[in-house]
Amino acid sequence: MFVQLTLWRRELAAYFLSPMAYVAAIFFLLITGFNFYLVVGIFSSYEYTIPDVMEQLLSSPLFFWPTFLLIVPVLTMRTFAEEKNSGTIETLMTAPVTERAVVLAKFSAALAMFLCMWLPTAAYPFLVETFSEEVAPLDIWPVISGYLGILLLGMFYLSVGVLCSALTGSQVVAAIATYAVTGILFFGGLVHTHVAADLIREISLYISSFEHQQRFVRGIIDSRPIVFYASGTVLMLFSTIRFLEGRRG
Amino acid sequence: MDIIDVKNLTKRYPGRTAVSDISFRVAQGEIVGFLGPNGAGKTTTMRILAGFLPATGGDVKIGGRDVSRHSLEVRRHIGYLPESCPLYPEMRVSEYLRYRACLKGLPRRRRKERVPKVLEMCGLLDVKRRVIGHLSKGYRQRVGLADALVHDPDLLILDEPTIGLDPNQIREIRNLIRDLSGRHTILLSTHILPEVEATCERVLILHQGKIVASDTPENLAGIVSGSIRVVTEIKGLQSEIVETLSALPGVNNVSDRLEGAWVKLEVSGKLGTDLRQNIFQTVVDNKWTLRELRTISTTLEDVFGALTTGDKGGRS
Repeated sequence: MFVQLTLWRRELAAYFLSPMAYVAAIFFLLITGFNFYLVVGIFSSYEYTIPDVMEQLLSSPLFFWPTFLLIVPVLTMRTFAEEKNSGTIETLMTAPVTERAVVLAKFSAALAMFLCMWLPTAAYPFLVETFSEEVAPLDIWPVISGYLGILLLGMFYLSVGVLCSALTGSQVVAAIATYAVTGILFFGGLVHTHVAADLIREISLYISSFEHQQRFVRGIIDSRPIVFYASGTVLMLFSTIRFLEGRRG
Repeated sequence: MDIIDVKNLTKRYPGRTAVSDISFRVAQGEIVGFLGPNGAGKTTTMRILAGFLPATGGDVKIGGRDVSRHSLEVRRHIGYLPESCPLYPEMRVSEYLRYRACLKGLPRRRRKERVPKVLEMCGLLDVKRRVIGHLSKGYRQRVGLADALVHDPDLLILDEPTIGLDPNQIREIRNLIRDLSGRHTILLSTHILPEVEATCERVLILHQGKIVASDTPENLAGIVSGSIRVVTEIKGLQSEIVETLSALPGVNNVSDRLEGAWVKLEVSGKLGTDLRQNIFQTVVDNKWTLRELRTISTTLEDVFGALTTGDKGGRS
């Protein structure tokens, strides 16, 4: 447990000691901030409610998904690829630490960083409530479930990124692979709108992150996506651990 | 007690055998040098010992425990400095060592005692607050060594600890290694021969994945040479000198070269005889003039050359 904490602290420190995390965080906030400005601007000419704004910000294919899909590889690409590239993986794995501890530390540090980035955006609904003339008071629950969705999706997508990073020695390859895999997952979930075949429709609908997140933002907490993302995360992390253990024999 | 016990270790990569069926033991407290040309399998063997790579076949035991089955326990007792000494460039020296001490499971009190100690041992006190990425290669190497030492391990595995250092730094590291020899068992690899002669009690020469020799540096020198060589410079008639010296008892071969008025000769004879006295007497008897007379001792360099390029090697 103590070793786990040490590893986690080091991983988190690695984000803050490199300029990359700051650059990523600044761009992230710029983009989400600009999206917020756009959404509020568009809605101001219509009748709108706060949930409408949040639905756009936390699930729209234009204002939410591009940022979400881009931020994941940025956070995970370095986790293993950097250590492999610089050789520090050798000092790390010859210390008396288990693969599980290392993988969990890297994953949870990436998740912590991911949540830190999303945290400021939680101010948006309150900003709208304070400065808009809409009379209906803010309903906090859809906002919370929307962020629960981000947490679950983030866990799964980040775990995919960690696995990709463990499989390659290059950060660029890791980032591209993560982007490709998560992109396929996301777009695979959109196939059901165009395909008539029942089986493909069913599968596509089941894995559709877009649909899941939209339901979360509307305050619908379904157990199926929770199980899907939790088990998906476990599977990805377990695969990463097994892959690393396989190298040791 | 043997701290390292390797039996029939084999490591195959796709299409290539890096280490083929090697066996050796290292006793507690020994300093053993792993010697071999690049690509001989030194690093692979050390990585397997350190638990970083799995072996394809064979048994590797450290302190009586199997490396792959009790990996975690074994790793607690090893201090490993990988080749090229990888470090986190963004961390500070003492911060890095504290982190490594934590990883190796040292309790807080031991950390407080060990980290300053290894900083001092490795001469890092002046740079302990510096960022590792800004340090010179020599200092970085010392940080790596300090990391290997921080948990006071029974066994130190050092892969090329002096590579890329200048002669002064090499001497410092060498002295440090010698100071450590009392309490730690050390296995170090290098392809710098004087280094092995200076620090190691025993040498294992690895060539193309096989151990081709294992002995003390002195004994190895004897094995290979099988003869004693004397270099001498004499002024006199060349043909007469060669003829006379060739006739001396115990002399096998004389090669000569004219250098101005002096004849430069290399006389080789049977091991165990000292030709110098006879040569000197001959010179006196013939009223020649002598300006040099010395034996050439076989160095580890000769041994290494003979074992890794000659018939035993196959590919040269």
